[in-house]
This record gives sequence, C-alpha cells and structure tokens, in this order.
Amino acid sequence: MEQSVKDRVSGIVLPVAFAAVLLVLWQTQALHAILGTDTFTFPLPGHIARILAGNVPKILENLSATCTVVFGGLAIGCVAGYGISVAAAMSPRWGVGGLRVIGAFNAIPIVALAPVVINLTRDVSGDVEVRSTVAKIIVVALLCAVVMSLGAYRGLTDLKPFSEDLLLSYAADRKTIFLKLRLPNSVPHIFIALRVIVPTSVISALISEYFAEYIIGIGRMIRDNITLAQYATAWAYIVVACGLGIASYAVLLLVEKLVCGKRWRT
Amino acid sequence: MAQPRVHFTSSNLFITLVWIAILVCAWEIGAAYIETVKRTPENVLPHLWQIVQSVFSDKAVAGGLTARQIVLNAAAATLARAGIGFAIGTGIGFGLALLMKLSGIVEKIAFPYLMIIQMIPILGMAPIVLGITGDIGQSRIVIAAILTFYPVAANTLAGLKSVEPEKDSLFLSYAATRPQTYVKLYIPVALPYFFTGMKIAAPLAITASILVDTLQGDGGLGCMLSQSLKHAMSIFVFWQIVFFSAIVGVLSINAVTLAERLALPNERRARKWSKA
Repeated sequence: MEQSVKDRVSGIVLPVAFAAVLLVLWQTQALHAILGTDTFTFPLPGHIARILAGNVPKILENLSATCTVVFGGLAIGCVAGYGISVAAAMSPRWGVGGLRVIGAFNAIPIVALAPVVINLTRDVSGDVEVRSTVAKIIVVALLCAVVMSLGAYRGLTDLKPFSEDLLLSYAADRKTIFLKLRLPNSVPHIFIALRVIVPTSVISALISEYFAEYIIGIGRMIRDNITLAQYATAWAYIVVACGLGIASYAVLLLVEKLVCGKRWRT
Repeated sequence: MAQPRVHFTSSNLFITLVWIAILVCAWEIGAAYIETVKRTPENVLPHLWQIVQSVFSDKAVAGGLTARQIVLNAAAATLARAGIGFAIGTGIGFGLALLMKLSGIVEKIAFPYLMIIQMIPILGMAPIVLGITGDIGQSRIVIAAILTFYPVAANTLAGLKSVEPEKDSLFLSYAATRPQTYVKLYIPVALPYFFTGMKIAAPLAITASILVDTLQGDGGLGCMLSQSLKHAMSIFVFWQIVFFSAIVGVLSINAVTLAERLALPNERRARKWSKA
C-alpha cells in the first residue's frame, strides 16, 4: 500500500511537534510542576547541554570504556550464541532440552549475575582495570549468547516445508544442507535476535558497571553523580547513554537493511 | 486423545533433567576447585549444598533473623512493588495500544516514541527516577511500570492490527457499533498478543524492582544483596537471593502462561487443532 504524502508528512510533523511541546514545557518548568520536582534534580535542557559541552574529554573517556564492554560483549556473545544454536541444531532432541535450560538464564536478573561474574574473575589479571573490563564483557556476552542461541536455533530449524526433503532428494550431505539451506534461513532470525540483543547489551553494560571494581563507564557515572547529588552531571551522562542506545540501534537497522535488503525480508 | 507412550529416557523431561545435572556437576567441580585455591571460597563459588543448607539453617545472621527470613521479608517488599508496577504498566500499555488503534493522530505521535523507548536504557535511569520521586517504593513502581508498558503496548498494538479487514467489514455489515466491534472482535484477537507482551515484561519488572533496591537501603532484595556483598551479613544471603530471583523470574513467566490458559481456554484448544 502506498502511503499518501499527507500521511507521511503528518507522521513526521506530529511526533516532532510533540517533542517540541515537551521541550518547551521542560524549559519553562511546567514539567517540573506536573512531576512535583525542582530544577536541581531535574535540570533544564540548556544546563545539561552546557555540562555536556564542558566535559567532553571526560565523557569520551567513559563512553569509550562503556563501548568496549557493549561491543566486545555483543560480538563474543553473538558468536558464542550462534555456535550453541548450530550445535543444538545438529542434534535437535538434546539441543532443545539444552536450549530450554539456557532460556532460564533469560530470567536471571542482571543485578544478580554481575556480582557473581565479578567475583569469579578476580584472578584474571593483577590490573584492576583489565579484570573489571573482562568481567563486564562476560556479563554482556552471557546475556547476548542466551538470546542469540534461542533466536538462531529457530532460524536454523524452522525451514520451509519440504525444503530439507528436497535437498535430501538431491543427495545433499549435511554440510551442504547447512550451508545452502539452514545458514541462509537463519539470517533474518539473527537480526530479529539482534533487535533484542543490542538494547540489552547497552543496559547490561551500564548495570555491570554499577558493581565493577574499577570505577569507569557511563552507567557508573550516572549512579555516582547522583550519590554525590550532582544531578545535572548525571543527566548529562543519561543523555549520552540514550544517545548510545539510539545510535547503536540505528546502526543495526542500517546493517540489517544492507544485508537483508535484496534477499531477505524481516 | 491417547498419547503414544514414550520411554522415559527419550522424554523431554529426562533430557532437561540431564542438562540440569550437567550444570550442577560443572558448578560442583568449579566449587571444589575454588575450595582448594581460595581462603574464603564461599565468596566466589560455594557448594550448592552449602546454599541449600543455609536456607534451612536456623542460625541468625543479622538482627536476630535467619537468612531465610531476611530473604523472604525482602522479597515481599520488592515483589509487591514489582507487582504494582507491572499492573500499572500493563494497564497503561493496553490502554495506549487501544488509543493508538482508535486514533490515527495518537498513533502517529506515540509510535516513534514507542520505538525510541526500547532503545533507551531505562534501567540506567533508575537513579534519576529515585532522585525525582525521592521515595524508593515509588521509584520501584515507576521503573517497573515503564519497563512493562513498552512490550505490552507494542504487542497489543500488533494484535489489534492483525485483525483482517474482511472481519471488520463483516461486523459493519451486521450493523455492529464500534464498541461492539472492539469488544467482540479486536480485543479477543489481540489478547494472545497481549499475553505475549506480559510474558516479556514480567521478568523485566522484577529485575527493575531489584535493581532499584540496590540504590538505597530500604530492605528490598537488591538492598540485602548489596549489603551481603559488602559482608554486612552472611554471604549466603547473597547466594540465596541469586537463586531466589532466578527462580521467581522463571515462575513469573509461568504465572502469566497460567493466567493466559485460564483466560483463553479456547485459544489453546484452537492452537492444538491447528497443529494437528
């Protein structure tokens, strides 16, 4: 169905207008009256922008620490998760049982997982920064691997009816079936999983920073600045965290479009 | 219908049990190794039986309470707030989905924000919510509600939109009023989607509530967890909470599944038929 021009324009104008109204309410402190708060805990946008501009080097340092954890954990977790799903697809009967147990990990709160992992990795390195980064990456990787293994398994086994039989009738061996049928079939499912994984990895990185030994990262800065009652600085880091979340999701959508554009539709 | 008899060793239950046994073995091997190299192995990886023993132990660990009493008291505070937040979030999510379906303008305004909200690390914002509300109990409810609201709204809207236009036309030809069409057509079709959203949201609400606890001392699960980590009380309180929260997370999904079966008994039958 072709959208009319009017529909498309109003689809952009209305949300932007809503954001503008919110921003005006915020700057004129009407929002503060509604929420029953003050400009100290909920600073004005101009104030937050000034702090952002004034702390660029420090923010970049924390941002790069967080990005290392997010994307390191994401990469390791996705590869490991895909590996698990391939292994499970090789022997589905045992694989499904294993995945069911892995699925239970999904329900474990990050708050409980992070301290366990940090305790386990105390001997990894004498350098507190290194072992703390390793611990945070493991937390992110674990959560990513769970979601990826469940999603990719469905992609590897949820084949079009009779397509596997067709390949078998061509006397294709298991390797060929995997490369020509299962692997391509799993690609859209990888991206569906990634849509969950990318926001999850940002959140879990921020939270594992709360518990980490070495004090660095966007999440830790949000928390520590609030403990110090530096609300405006905390808000600046929240803006950075939201930016990171939105930017990484936008990159994902772009990659998805490039990879899936011609062959797959998700 | 008579199920074909399956030998126990090839049943799903058996396979799951074997996997759990493998995990338990791996844990115990790790714990036995840690025991030989660490001075305080229970901080890193205690034996599973030590954790179980601590649950049933009557020894007071803090303030005259046993570890079990501490965990259960804390759980009551945390889960009650998570439950209230979950209920509020579910209500708002369902209401917004309905509004978005009813009004094109609301949909156009809200939909991009519904997309953006899933990219924003809401849990990272927990400390600021605490700053604004100033009350730990309220913060738990607010954060749990925000996290619940998104999956419920998105899934319900998908459900409302999955109604075929022919069915809508049919209702129109029967001269059904709009409220009637919604009550008898749109909402019943959307309900399974609504429950899917709740299944995603339930463990999130609990995680959120525990996380908010860690920010301030008010006797929730997260608060006890961080105090136990700081050795203000037996470290086994920490291990009990780790397992307790994992189990409650799984149970919360099961509870929604159970509610779904009670609310939509026909749905399940229909699915069985379509499979057969």
